[in-house]
Amino acid sequence: MLYVVLFFLLFSLLLYILLGGADFGAGIVELFSGNRKGTRDTIYGVIGPVWEANHIWLIILMVILWTAFPLYFNVLIVYLHIPLTLILLGITLRGVAFVFRHYDAVVGSSQFWYNWLFRIGSFVTPVFLGMTFAALVGGEIIITESYADHSFYQLFISNWFNPFCLFVGLFYAALCAFLASSFLIGETEGAMQRLYKAYSARYTVILVVLGFFLILYGYVNQIQFIRDFIHNPASIILVVVSGILLYPLWRSIANGNVLANRILAGIQVVLIVLAALLAHFPNIIIAKQGEMDLLEGMASGPTMDTLGISLLIGGVFILPGLFHLMKSFDMIKILKRRDDGSSNG
Amino acid sequence: MENLDYARLQMAFTLGFHIIFACIGMVMPFFMVVSHYKWLKTRKAVYLKLTKAWVKGVAIFFVIGAVSGTALSFELGMLWPEFMKHAGPIIGMPFSLEGAAFFVEAIALGFYLYGWDRLPERFHWYTGIIIGISGVASGILVVSANGWMNAPSGFEYVDGKFINIDPVGALFNPAWFTQALHMTLAAFVATSFGVAGIHAFQVFRGRNVELHKKAFKIALVFGAVAAFLQPLSGDLSAKDVAERQPVKLAALEAHYETGRGVPLYIGGIVDEGNRSVSHKIEIPKALSFLAFGDFDAEVKGLNDFPEDELPPVAIVHYAFQAMVGIGSLLMLAGLVFFISLKRKKWQESNKYWLLFVTMAPLGFLAIEAGWIVTEVGRQPWIIHQIMRTKDAVTPMPGMKYSFFFYVFLYTILALTVVWLMHRQIKTLNKPEN
Repeated sequence: MLYVVLFFLLFSLLLYILLGGADFGAGIVELFSGNRKGTRDTIYGVIGPVWEANHIWLIILMVILWTAFPLYFNVLIVYLHIPLTLILLGITLRGVAFVFRHYDAVVGSSQFWYNWLFRIGSFVTPVFLGMTFAALVGGEIIITESYADHSFYQLFISNWFNPFCLFVGLFYAALCAFLASSFLIGETEGAMQRLYKAYSARYTVILVVLGFFLILYGYVNQIQFIRDFIHNPASIILVVVSGILLYPLWRSIANGNVLANRILAGIQVVLIVLAALLAHFPNIIIAKQGEMDLLEGMASGPTMDTLGISLLIGGVFILPGLFHLMKSFDMIKILKRRDDGSSNG
Repeated sequence: MENLDYARLQMAFTLGFHIIFACIGMVMPFFMVVSHYKWLKTRKAVYLKLTKAWVKGVAIFFVIGAVSGTALSFELGMLWPEFMKHAGPIIGMPFSLEGAAFFVEAIALGFYLYGWDRLPERFHWYTGIIIGISGVASGILVVSANGWMNAPSGFEYVDGKFINIDPVGALFNPAWFTQALHMTLAAFVATSFGVAGIHAFQVFRGRNVELHKKAFKIALVFGAVAAFLQPLSGDLSAKDVAERQPVKLAALEAHYETGRGVPLYIGGIVDEGNRSVSHKIEIPKALSFLAFGDFDAEVKGLNDFPEDELPPVAIVHYAFQAMVGIGSLLMLAGLVFFISLKRKKWQESNKYWLLFVTMAPLGFLAIEAGWIVTEVGRQPWIIHQIMRTKDAVTPMPGMKYSFFFYVFLYTILALTVVWLMHRQIKTLNKPEN
């Protein structure tokens, strides 16, 4: 059952990064777009029906962590209290702003506030998500029982508030924007579509540049995660494959092959995330004193069994439902095309 | 005040906030589905208009409930890390099933909100039902996790370690059924009277009377029925608490002296220092009967419990009085409603509508009071008789700032929602839109 639980942990993490990420990314694209009004309307049509579903993956992720890996969860939740609070603030504000801007009975001047809350929330939340992940592997967490020996800043701030974490945060935000603009190409036509093609290229460049500086910074400053990342052949292969895939991605965008473009963009992000996880698996916490295994202090057999069964039961309801939801609202283009009787170019 | 006090205040405040939105998000879909059904049956435009107005309400309340619920799932660990470290593996099952139910609800909501004119009519209506059912299921599962804190089960506690964990036994802990039943009924009562009260106010002001009368009736039927069932469920809860948490029972009745044939106090001012209650009305032998079904049963008083295991008595007693008082009042209001269905004349009186306007916020007050009874009444324990709240709190200092931050954020959110609802109703009352 451990493997079922681990599967769902990875599955919900990837789906949160992909779907939640595209959702955040849509807001980032809107924030930095020259045509905010046009972007706003596209986004409503695309993420509207699934906007909330995207974020439930995060709750599932948290529940799996605290049920199955309580010690790991404990470190995350105690020492990263502040960035987690900021993530919550971001999720709250952008979530309500999204609904308010589309469900307010009166469309008036208040739209200004909803729009800006949504855009800024969409940008800062993934930055803090990235910073939280970076803090876990950044080697700055001080795990201790005697809290009086350290200052508040050392224990609760310096572990995430540093250049390495900020780099990772910005990298994840750029990843979200890249995903969103690549996905949105298929939702639009004409001028808007050209716009998203340009954005997709723009964010790809930003991503590569940020990634380069991230590794350079980590290497120069002897950050263990980055050193291990560079010396882990599996991680390097995954990143290289992801880089090579950029070429078919650009081809598919140029040819207007919507399906291939989405799958490729998704695969690239998955490869990058897997590379980051593999660099240290299963030691996904790197603290000042040493590394901590995800499986350390794992819950006992019966807990794993019932969690695995609960997840399987949940999956039986959720996955077909989610698939059907996306299908009903033409979110999976391949099905629509098949209905039309034409094939993909 | 210490860090612990602020952590408790923050938990109380954010839970108290979430409960209101969760209840509305859980119950309003049922009103919406009934109105939708009437539209499909009668094809009267008024039902379609009402359904669509309620749908917007559901969407707004759902998102606030969802984001404040997400915040709570983090806060459990952020405020009480030591609790989650040990309790997480034991009560993970209700939480993971709740996650699944909530997910189903979000999917169904996606279908329902965006499905107008795009999905087959029956299927569209059916997704509305799923929203309601999965919402209620989520509520029951979360309450089951809370029940476990009151009635910890499904493990053995040996030398400070939790061993032989049985998550199914923890899910079906002795308190889950009585608590879940009481909470679900309470959600129906409060939301019904709340929504009906808002529509009653519109009828009272003479705005779009036809629509608001229909809305009032659909909403209140649920609450009036639930208000009559609630005392029965309350009786089950009281007997359960009497058996499992006698100190909580003694606190909610402010009952200090152990004895047989103990009277029930109504009202009264608690003096915690002198351990006495003044200005109360006594009903002879009633507490013994209500708690144990026997007029001469012995009820243990607060004086016979260790000093360091007593919850704050006054607040629990007052909250309990408020909950029971409001419950009884709403039951009477429900009776008035049922009679008015026969005697249509009552509905022509402005006083009738004003009565239900004043009832609107009461159900929610009763819910908050009920949670104060169960949560404050459990103190000083976070896991009854196993772990104290003070041993579970986060080591991070400065919870004061965190508390004020949440108060600020949620107050703004609440004000915005009230303002949005006001705009919804104004739009609804425009003759043509």
